[in-house]
Amino acid sequence: MNPIPEEFQGANGTIQPGRYYGHGLPYLPIEHYPGKIIAIEGTDGVGRSTQIQLLREWLEVQGYGVVETGWTRSALMQPTIELAKSSNTLNKLTFVLLYATDFADRLEKEIIPALKAGFVVLADRYIFSALARAGVRGVDRAWLRSLYGFAIAPHLVFYLKIDVDTLIRRVLSARGMDFWESGMDLKGGDDIYDSFRAYQSKLLREYSSMSDEFGFRVLDARRPVDLIQEDLRRHVQAFLSSSDISVDV
Amino acid sequence: MGKKKNALTPTTFSLLHATDFADRLLYNIVPPLKAGMIVLAERYAYTAFARDVARGVDRRWVRDLYSFAVRPDLALYFRVPIDVSLDRLMARRVKLKFYEAGLDMGWSQNAQESFRIFQGKVLDEYDRLVEEFGLSVVDASLAITDQQQMVRNLVSRQLERPTLVETAVNQ
Ligand SMILES: Nc1ncnc2c1ncn2[C@@H]1O[C@H](COP(=O)(O)OP(=O)(O)OP(=O)(O)O)[C@@H](O)[C@H]1O
Ligand SMILES: [Mg+2]
Repeated sequence: MNPIPEEFQGANGTIQPGRYYGHGLPYLPIEHYPGKIIAIEGTDGVGRSTQIQLLREWLEVQGYGVVETGWTRSALMQPTIELAKSSNTLNKLTFVLLYATDFADRLEKEIIPALKAGFVVLADRYIFSALARAGVRGVDRAWLRSLYGFAIAPHLVFYLKIDVDTLIRRVLSARGMDFWESGMDLKGGDDIYDSFRAYQSKLLREYSSMSDEFGFRVLDARRPVDLIQEDLRRHVQAFLSSSDISVDV
Repeated sequence: MGKKKNALTPTTFSLLHATDFADRLLYNIVPPLKAGMIVLAERYAYTAFARDVARGVDRRWVRDLYSFAVRPDLALYFRVPIDVSLDRLMARRVKLKFYEAGLDMGWSQNAQESFRIFQGKVLDEYDRLVEEFGLSVVDASLAITDQQQMVRNLVSRQLERPTLVETAVNQ
């Protein structure tokens, strides 16, 4: 369905975790690094951070070294992205490129070194949030996949799936709707509620459409926190115990 | 720039320049093209193709990255040997810039030596680009007036081809 560049792993349906999706970084070979990447994906306010915190504690108690990485947290790009968001002068293409720069910086300076040192990298969002947001904004999907060809396919990708009604109630009771999460930049009208609903519905469809392509493990995020966490731990446990990763005892 | 935390990698260097380019394309290049004007661009995507690949990013990747760019109607490449460009820079007593000299690559601590190694790779890439994208080569070791004459000839010839001007307008 999606026009995917041939050199992109997902194109032929077989994704090899721990390898670059596409052309990769020719100057940084990553074969046989012992660490693992576990990505938690899902839309704004769905409960990713809550799950990651619990998962992290659980992994650390078992002796795994854990490194967390999250969207727009790079030392290089965070100030620029904040500025861009507040000044509103950027178009969708420059936004996509700034996010990609942020990701590249974290990949090279946090993720790859952690993989090399045998850590479990917990990613609060990975490239999929970027793909979803850009896809909704009409950016060419094949181009986006080629752009992110330098990303490493995670060992596990969990997708916290929710419906828009549950999401709206969760976001409103937690912190309210924010300009960007409501897609107000798409100028669909001044009503933030309507805009949030329309934008998030599109975003959820966009995530779902990537599910098969990227092998998401889908978790029903409408359930209580501890039930989701139980599922998460079961998958992670099964994966790590069958892998070669080492534990400090 | 010495601060390690903020140092650019070949890929973030490439992406930041692409971001800047996308911004200029949208605001400074596309509107005048739509108005039927001539846009003179000092450096274009080809700079990135040469420079970023010299730093080690994938050739195909960086070409795909810039696929949103408008293909120029005429692309001029001013070719000089490294010694000439280095002499010209030195004559103006400019201090070689960190990234321009490729000092980020750690090939040499000496700025001139590093420039030589890095620009050598950049020039090799440009030679590829001449073939691949049909760049028009201007011998930049000639006198300025001679170069300008060549440039004017190339541009005149280009402007006499109405179809191409049409294309630019319709981008
Ligand atoms: N399963 C759940 N059921 C009900 N409420 C939840 C659930 N998970 C998280 N929450 C609540 O939803 C809010 C958002 O959670 P959290 O910060 O973990 O989400 P997030 O996906 O990280 O959000 P953001 O996109 O802002 O980073 C919090 O108030 C949290 O307590
Ligand atoms: Mg969060």
